[in-house]
Amino acid sequence: MSRPLWSQPIEWLAPRIRAGKVSPVELAESALSRIGSLDTKLHSFIHISANAVAHARAAQKEIADGNWRGPLHGIPIAVKDNYLTQDMPTTVGTVAPGISFPLRDSAATARLREAGAVLIGKTRTHEFAWGNVTPPVRNPWDLTRVPSGSSGGSAAALAAGLCAGALGSDTGGSIRMPASVCNVVGLKPTFGRVSRDGVVPHSWSLDHAGPLARTVTDAALMLNVLAGYDPADPACQAQPVPDYAKALEQPVKNLRIGVCRNHFFERNQADVEAAVELAIDDFASQGASVREFKIPLLEYGLGAIFAIELASSTAYHDASLRAGRTKHFQPDVRTLVEVGRLVTASDYLKAEQYRTVLMEEFSKIFATVDVIIGPTTPITAWKSGEWTVAVGGEQESVLAASWRFTYPYNLTGLPAISIPCGFDSDGLPIGLQLAGRPFDEATVLRAAHAYERRHDWIHRLPSL
Amino acid sequence: MAISPIEPAFDPYDELFGVYVSPERLTENLASFRAIWAEIAKLRELDLTDVQPAVIFEPLAVYRRTAKK
Repeated sequence: MSRPLWSQPIEWLAPRIRAGKVSPVELAESALSRIGSLDTKLHSFIHISANAVAHARAAQKEIADGNWRGPLHGIPIAVKDNYLTQDMPTTVGTVAPGISFPLRDSAATARLREAGAVLIGKTRTHEFAWGNVTPPVRNPWDLTRVPSGSSGGSAAALAAGLCAGALGSDTGGSIRMPASVCNVVGLKPTFGRVSRDGVVPHSWSLDHAGPLARTVTDAALMLNVLAGYDPADPACQAQPVPDYAKALEQPVKNLRIGVCRNHFFERNQADVEAAVELAIDDFASQGASVREFKIPLLEYGLGAIFAIELASSTAYHDASLRAGRTKHFQPDVRTLVEVGRLVTASDYLKAEQYRTVLMEEFSKIFATVDVIIGPTTPITAWKSGEWTVAVGGEQESVLAASWRFTYPYNLTGLPAISIPCGFDSDGLPIGLQLAGRPFDEATVLRAAHAYERRHDWIHRLPSL
Repeated sequence: MAISPIEPAFDPYDELFGVYVSPERLTENLASFRAIWAEIAKLRELDLTDVQPAVIFEPLAVYRRTAKK
């Protein structure tokens, strides 16, 4: 691959770092230099680690001494600002007085450090991972547009080559949506696959922790480190953790692809729909069988996720609401936290009942298909400050449109990945979403990898 | 119990929801909630009488966490 060093994926860097051909110190300094020169335009970082170069130097020495810890050793990784870190402050994007977070590592950042990763800094998020915007982050593909969110800082930083991988979190699509509109890979693992200990909660039964990466292989390498049981997260499951990177090379011939023709294909921007249809054809051309189906129950999903997310977020912020601190929140976040009071307990529980029947519907589908594919979002990156977008010939609110295809997999907890699958007529990235059975990230990654290596989307870089 | 005529007016938002929101903000919030409410109202139409909620009570979780400490 003839790409500049700052744009190289972990899968390219790791063997060269191990062999002493690429220096972790050089990598960290390169990332910091790009942050210094580009982040005045992107605003993707809220905090830069003062220890990054020292940690890179320690990694370099350890590797030179023959103690290579694995593919993330010496790799600069950015951390979304809702993960607690022991050596960097956590703000979750809020400046409200009276709210602070401890200096300690989340389970995920502790695992990354143990794997030898160099945590380069904290990336911006929507305030409390809620609301509509990640102020003031811009999309590297068009600085007048948003990177979506709430892991918008992580996606923008990665797309611009300010880090080699990043952590995100996903309650309704917050890893996959920014990955889609920034031309990177975003993986929401199965609920319970990655510990959320030390991730500031937004909605306990919907929140997922996971990686954003340059390639599918990189996502697999990061998941190898992040996945595993942790009793500190009551939702975390003691399920076997396979080597996700090893599973990638198996062929997709005979893979059974599912396409849900309602909900996911009812209202998309034309370029998005065309790119996704081409991707479906591409799988078929490789010997995968394609089965189309419908899940009418998805019509009720938006009400369910609103009920759960609003009620949970308001419960989490109850003390702030009572103390009047929410008046210092961003206006949209303040409104959402206040209106969460209007969701009744029976609405909340009905939404949880709905999840059971929705999961049953998906389980029936997964008896006959291995992966479900479709668009990640119906729209490409929208202009900063816009609250409505044109979709399928109609104006629709960004809040309603952007997460339409991602939240079903938060309600069901199924693993889902967004990978680049083309560009629209304005040169903006389009994402393809693949979802799988619970704890079958290996099949999702394998299918995603098979598509990725047949196309050059990941090799296209934004001009900044 | 008889309600005294001198008792202040019952403010459902304040008293039921436990948070004071000014009348102006309440109006704004209700307007913002309208679209969300329409979706939740659709959900209410489903008959899920015999369905267990997905989130279940799990008494062992806290013991696992305590054991780690």
